[in-house]
Amino acid sequence: MALKERPKPFLLPEYCKGCGRCIDACAKDCITAGHQINPLTGLVPIELDLTNCNACGLCMDACPEPYGLRPAHEGPIKKFELEDPAKLYGVKPSDAPEPQDVPSVVLPLPRTEPLVIKGTYASAIGAILAGCRHVYGYPITPSTEGAELMAKFLPKLDGTFLQAVSEVAAVNMMYGTAGAGLPTMTFTSSPGFSLMLEGVSYMIGSELPGVFVDVMRGGPGLGNIAPEQSDIKLACHGLGHGNTQALVLAPSTPQEMLDLTILAFELSFKYRNPVVILSDGYLGQMTGKVQLPETMLKPGVPKWAVYGDALHRKNLISSIFLTETDLEAHNVHLNAKYEAMKVEVRSESFRCEDAEVILIACNTPARTAKGAVQELRHQGVKAGLFRPITLWPFPIEALKTALHGAERLVVVEASAGQLENEVRLALSKAGIRDYPEIESVRRMGGILPQQDEILAQVMGRKEVLA
Amino acid sequence: MSKASVIYDKFDRHSHAQGLKGHATHYCPGCGHGLAHKFLAEAIDELGVQDRTVAISPVGCSVFLYYYFDVGNSQAAHGRASVVALGHKFANPDSVVVSYQGDGDLASIGLAETIATAQLGAPITVIFINNAIYGMTGGQMAPTTLMGQTATTCPTGRNQYNGQPMKMAEIIAGLDGPIYVERVALFDAKQRIKAKKAIRKALRNQVEGRGYSFIEVLAECPTHLKMSPEETESWVKDFMEPVFPLGVKKDLTVEPWFHRNPPSFEGAKILQLAGASYEHPVRHCSGFPTHLAPADISLKLAGSGGDGAQTAAMLIARSGINEGFDATHIPSYGPESRGGTSYADIHVAEEEVLNPGSPDPQILIAFNAPSLAKFGPTVRKGGVVIYDSSVVSDAPLLDPSIKVFPVPFTGIATDLGKAVVKNIVALGALQAATGIFPKETFLDAIRVALKEKCALIPLNEEAFAWGIKSVEALRR
Repeated sequence: MALKERPKPFLLPEYCKGCGRCIDACAKDCITAGHQINPLTGLVPIELDLTNCNACGLCMDACPEPYGLRPAHEGPIKKFELEDPAKLYGVKPSDAPEPQDVPSVVLPLPRTEPLVIKGTYASAIGAILAGCRHVYGYPITPSTEGAELMAKFLPKLDGTFLQAVSEVAAVNMMYGTAGAGLPTMTFTSSPGFSLMLEGVSYMIGSELPGVFVDVMRGGPGLGNIAPEQSDIKLACHGLGHGNTQALVLAPSTPQEMLDLTILAFELSFKYRNPVVILSDGYLGQMTGKVQLPETMLKPGVPKWAVYGDALHRKNLISSIFLTETDLEAHNVHLNAKYEAMKVEVRSESFRCEDAEVILIACNTPARTAKGAVQELRHQGVKAGLFRPITLWPFPIEALKTALHGAERLVVVEASAGQLENEVRLALSKAGIRDYPEIESVRRMGGILPQQDEILAQVMGRKEVLA
Repeated sequence: MSKASVIYDKFDRHSHAQGLKGHATHYCPGCGHGLAHKFLAEAIDELGVQDRTVAISPVGCSVFLYYYFDVGNSQAAHGRASVVALGHKFANPDSVVVSYQGDGDLASIGLAETIATAQLGAPITVIFINNAIYGMTGGQMAPTTLMGQTATTCPTGRNQYNGQPMKMAEIIAGLDGPIYVERVALFDAKQRIKAKKAIRKALRNQVEGRGYSFIEVLAECPTHLKMSPEETESWVKDFMEPVFPLGVKKDLTVEPWFHRNPPSFEGAKILQLAGASYEHPVRHCSGFPTHLAPADISLKLAGSGGDGAQTAAMLIARSGINEGFDATHIPSYGPESRGGTSYADIHVAEEEVLNPGSPDPQILIAFNAPSLAKFGPTVRKGGVVIYDSSVVSDAPLLDPSIKVFPVPFTGIATDLGKAVVKNIVALGALQAATGIFPKETFLDAIRVALKEKCALIPLNEEAFAWGIKSVEALRR
């Protein structure tokens, strides 16, 4: 029986970089270092003399270039065509199919009595109902109960909870699962969110969905574990390096922790962008009444995902665009997306219609401010509360309406003016110049503004004005 | 040999495949990456897993791995490839995930991720290219740079003040998670055959669900070692190999274990986990307890960890919600809640709780003397204070408008045989002292909370009744 003849090597000099690995590999000294510079590549390809070649193939094994030393083709080469080795070796294009969506399914959920649970639990249950079965996290007070609940529930639902080695690792696990096209989330608090921002920037650059629940605490540095609205600036204007934005939602009750988490997943997939939920230490820990929805989601696999199957083989998840014009085009695309997100603005106006004093607050301070509005109304002051639910984009049109006829504007917040800056920026960008001087009630360090402090600001000033 | 089908026919992602870039790699002449790519591509081909493969491109020269591999591609941040790989693997356990990383990526900036992923042991394949230098950033010191070797950030040669080279294969093999660790090289035909075999085995271990494999490849970087490709091969052999000995560092025979069911989306199961109830709770109140406050009642429970203040607070909030009101409960949390003081702010409102904090409560339940001393004076005029008279001997003087109920929570609970029910005694006392909700409201909430531990219900009912009796006795 005749052995099948082994092929001898063949080389297109244009694809040889002249490294010479093949020279040592050849026992028959068929290959020598070249002397002539290839005009097209500027490199010096090896020279091949196959007189003594026994077709051992070791030179081809040694060649690092995919289109370098190759088995000799059949038939003579007429003319080398630069971009088409297919002509030489036969066409073998990628057989990966055009990626397709595997659609999500909305499933009914029977009506139940309201739960009595804390904010982080409400958010965790919201995530499960939104179809999230992959949660990665690192313990940090006051957000940890969310991760703990996931660690308890997800194994029972054949889901995954991994405690990562750090927040940096947690966000990158999210990057992987989001890259595979599945819903994923984390619970963290301010210092942890700082650590995750690198990953958030990559997720935005690679257009990946994911939900970050930041239960804000006192800062800077280690600060303390009491509630502060310390990350408004970070979430609205500092999501890591580069041209980054994400929808920022600010719940103010355990019920909203659930509702806005479900919404966050929806928006995150709609825009292929992370969504940040800014909660505060009180809200994360606070137990309250939470009504579950009547549907839940079984997620599919979007067509852009890298799921690890034939249907999605063609895809690439990446934030690198080496060519400057490509990166500029990518940023133009991201900007268009950020612009499109502006339809998602949400807010609540409480008794603003005839209000002369408008309070602006979000998260737990908004509850207190609502209490203050009722007390002020009781005392004959026409007060109202404007509560932004999306902090980015800021609901400026609704604020404009609320401000109609207002004589005073008081921002109530547990930070050194981070919410006020958002208000000022939104007013400025909208070209609104005619608004009352902004007054403030601010506490920091883990202390929330109290109702009597709001009353003192409003009533005290009123007396002065009178 | 012939090009593996896993390598794209044309490198469209390489500068839009312009000119030679459509078929040439971006690597320098003599670079080790090309060979490692080739062996990986051949292994994917041979195992028939092209459709299932997800290749993680790192940061460094091999950031453009995705130019060449016709598989699912995901590009990670510097150092994070191994955890991105985990994210993919757990999203789709059937996928075959390869984390391909250089020395700066794997052994420096991503060291925590590298070690933690290896120790986790989930079946992924890590290919580690060690060429003792930073390539893409231009010849800086790597964690694997040899002692005495010069680099732009150790221009006179690496010395003790720069630390010593990281021997990653040995470090990884020292962990319990990995099942297979080998260090291979590319400098001659024999080493290349071993390298190819090792990469294939590392991939097969994953395909069969056996565990985590790590292949360290000693590779050449002629450009930054400032040598010819041939000299670099000799350098790797003569200088790198003695520091980084080749060979199998760990090879365990492990039965396939990584089996994961598809996630469940069964609504009933989720509702059960969440503790949701389909039964409408019976209401016992005829209306909001306006005898206490027109629309919002503020309470504080304070004690030390283990007194059960948080459980009692939870039961008050649940009782309020079962009666159709709104209620909130904020626990103290953080360092002081681990064994120190533990207190809870509770509000019950007819429609909506607006101020969930209780800085000046109407009702205080104090489980010990420090709590009573601290919060007693904050109670509003006309309010109610109930405290554990078993442990508090000297009650502070409070405003005369405040009604004070000393009840021996601990004494009663101990007599009943279980000190932990003192919080339920306190709830009974609260019910009798304030009439905030009818008895049945509390008892329903207690029974629901104990539905998994039915045997404890009679004891708790008794404790509750004793709390009521104690207050009634004080009234007489």
